[in-house]
Amino acid sequence: MITGAHRRILVVEDDPETAGQLVEQLTSSGYDVDLAANGREALSHGAARDYAVITIDRMLPDIDGIAVMRQMRDDGIAVPFLIISALGEVDDRVRGLRAGGDDYLVKPFSFVELLARLEALGRRSETVAKETILRVGDLAVDLIARTASRGSRRIPLLPKEFQLLEYLARNEGRVVSRAMLLQHVWDLHFDPSTNIIDVYVGRVRRKVDDQQAYPLIHTIRGIGYCLRAPG
Amino acid sequence: MLLAKTLKSSTFRLALIAIGTFGLIASAIFAYVYWSTASYVRSRADRTIMAEQASLRDVYTRSGRDGLIALIAQRVADKGFADHIYLLVGPGPVALAGNLTQWPDGAAEQGWSEFRAPVPSSASANPLVRGVTETLARGDRLLVGSDISDLDGFTARIRAAAIAVIVLIFMLAAGASIGVTRRTVGRIESINATSRAIMLSGLDQRIPLRGSRDEWDRVAENLNLMLDRIQTLMGDVKQVGDNIAHDLRTPLTRMRGRLEKAYHGPRNGDNDAALIGDTIADLDAVLGMFASITRISAIETHARKDAFRTVNLVEIASEVVELYDAAAEQDATRLGLAGDPEVLMTGDRDLLFDAIGNLVDNAIKHGRAGGRVTVTCDNGEGGAVIAVADDGPGIPADQHDHVFKRFYRLERSRYTPGNGLGLSLVAAVASLHGARIELHDNAPGLLVRLCFPGH
Repeated sequence: MITGAHRRILVVEDDPETAGQLVEQLTSSGYDVDLAANGREALSHGAARDYAVITIDRMLPDIDGIAVMRQMRDDGIAVPFLIISALGEVDDRVRGLRAGGDDYLVKPFSFVELLARLEALGRRSETVAKETILRVGDLAVDLIARTASRGSRRIPLLPKEFQLLEYLARNEGRVVSRAMLLQHVWDLHFDPSTNIIDVYVGRVRRKVDDQQAYPLIHTIRGIGYCLRAPG
Repeated sequence: MLLAKTLKSSTFRLALIAIGTFGLIASAIFAYVYWSTASYVRSRADRTIMAEQASLRDVYTRSGRDGLIALIAQRVADKGFADHIYLLVGPGPVALAGNLTQWPDGAAEQGWSEFRAPVPSSASANPLVRGVTETLARGDRLLVGSDISDLDGFTARIRAAAIAVIVLIFMLAAGASIGVTRRTVGRIESINATSRAIMLSGLDQRIPLRGSRDEWDRVAENLNLMLDRIQTLMGDVKQVGDNIAHDLRTPLTRMRGRLEKAYHGPRNGDNDAALIGDTIADLDAVLGMFASITRISAIETHARKDAFRTVNLVEIASEVVELYDAAAEQDATRLGLAGDPEVLMTGDRDLLFDAIGNLVDNAIKHGRAGGRVTVTCDNGEGGAVIAVADDGPGIPADQHDHVFKRFYRLERSRYTPGNGLGLSLVAAVASLHGARIELHDNAPGLLVRLCFPGH
């Protein structure tokens, strides 16, 4: 959960029903939410307040979402953007990212996925500490030696398996979706239609959790995974 | 109908322009011939007349009016000068000598002129005469002229020839152009008729060929080929539409039934939660299918070449192998990588990853449990080659062409998970990269090879 003053989110969405759902669900998840129904409102909100994250729709009635984002970047606003687009093609997503967006989500999306990405983005904007060893319970992920261990037992991992564990550890306690794993571990900007990620995580989980006092990698039904220590 | 079309056709207009141009050129040639002939005849007459005038003037100067009268009388009597006219008049309008009785109409009082007057040698009564008038020392005027009626004849003949030729040109050209235009209009009309028939009834009509193998036949042939292609594509689209309808109806019907049952039954927290969860999962599957379809369409429209970079095929393949190794492990299948250590090519990493992933996924799913799947990357002679081979049941040779169609599924895999879009995506990615797909019998199993073009 994003903490402290940075709990305010700007939602730029022109469809009233979608906007209403977003505001309601984000508010009940503990965020303060401002709503802008078009590009001009978004620009004035963005200039007036400091936000943890701005979610922006690609297609707005007046100004294109990408243009709004560029404008804010030019105005020196460094808030992370989450682009929400109904244009599913990868080109559009990548173009969005190049224009200054920090993450993207394709409509239709699940709210849990949105929440997971918002948390990851919000955290990114506030973390500064550069740890060299990530610790979750008795798991230690050494970012320099590229090794992982539980207690005194070393966990043998392939390079991608290590990256996956590292990404989970960096997002300790937060839900990470399958699409986020594909994006950050494999740099793939599409969702393979198979359950390949689940199978892959299953193997990592066996290496990490088998014959241990307690499990660390938890499956969050319908969305993805979460790495957390008990208690 | 056809005549009206002929007159309106662009070919006919072009023919008219051509006829006009021909006519103008022919007229210009005849005008030049006429002009040069006439000036030749005139200048020849002028030389004779001037010489005659000079000798007469000479006699007048030496022997006076009487000497001249005598000479003129002599000339008039001379058969050799029968094509000449002579007239000497005094200060009054009285003829002193010559073979004319009076001053001819149209003859100038002074200098050169052309007029009509009787000439002894001429067959016609009043031939065209070219003459010159000179006022002599004592006020006498001398008119000397020569018959130029042969020029008249020339002119008439040239005019007749010109008219004949021009009329002939017009007739021939008009005939030819109407013929050509009719032929053109006829062929275009048959193409138009077929087009209208297609718009009205359907794609099964074709433009008739005349077997002349001319450019019209070739146009018709190409249009027919295009129609064949469109018909095939329409068939594919219909097939895809039917498949989408089928593949969407199944989960949607399931969801509807589930929701309906829950709606009529009593509320039950745990059951409702499970039902909602299942429904969301089913909806996600449907949305995923849509995403795959739009993704394949986007790749097929070749809109993505801007993401092309130099990539190492082996690197991508090894990442795919690593990702799918866990899935292979579940089936006790051994998944391996072979071939050259580095295979560079130009392509889109995401798409290549997806395509290779699909091939490997298929090989694991449809191969033999406990079998072997091998991904091989090679620097082939033509370019990069990647092959994915399994040792499962393979695909019968007569199905090879069908497996790349959207939603196509072999009968025996109808109930394994998947949506029949994987190989369509592979085909789309291959075509975007200009690659050739080959399916071979791996005896046993299937070998799929993508051959990319060289740099």
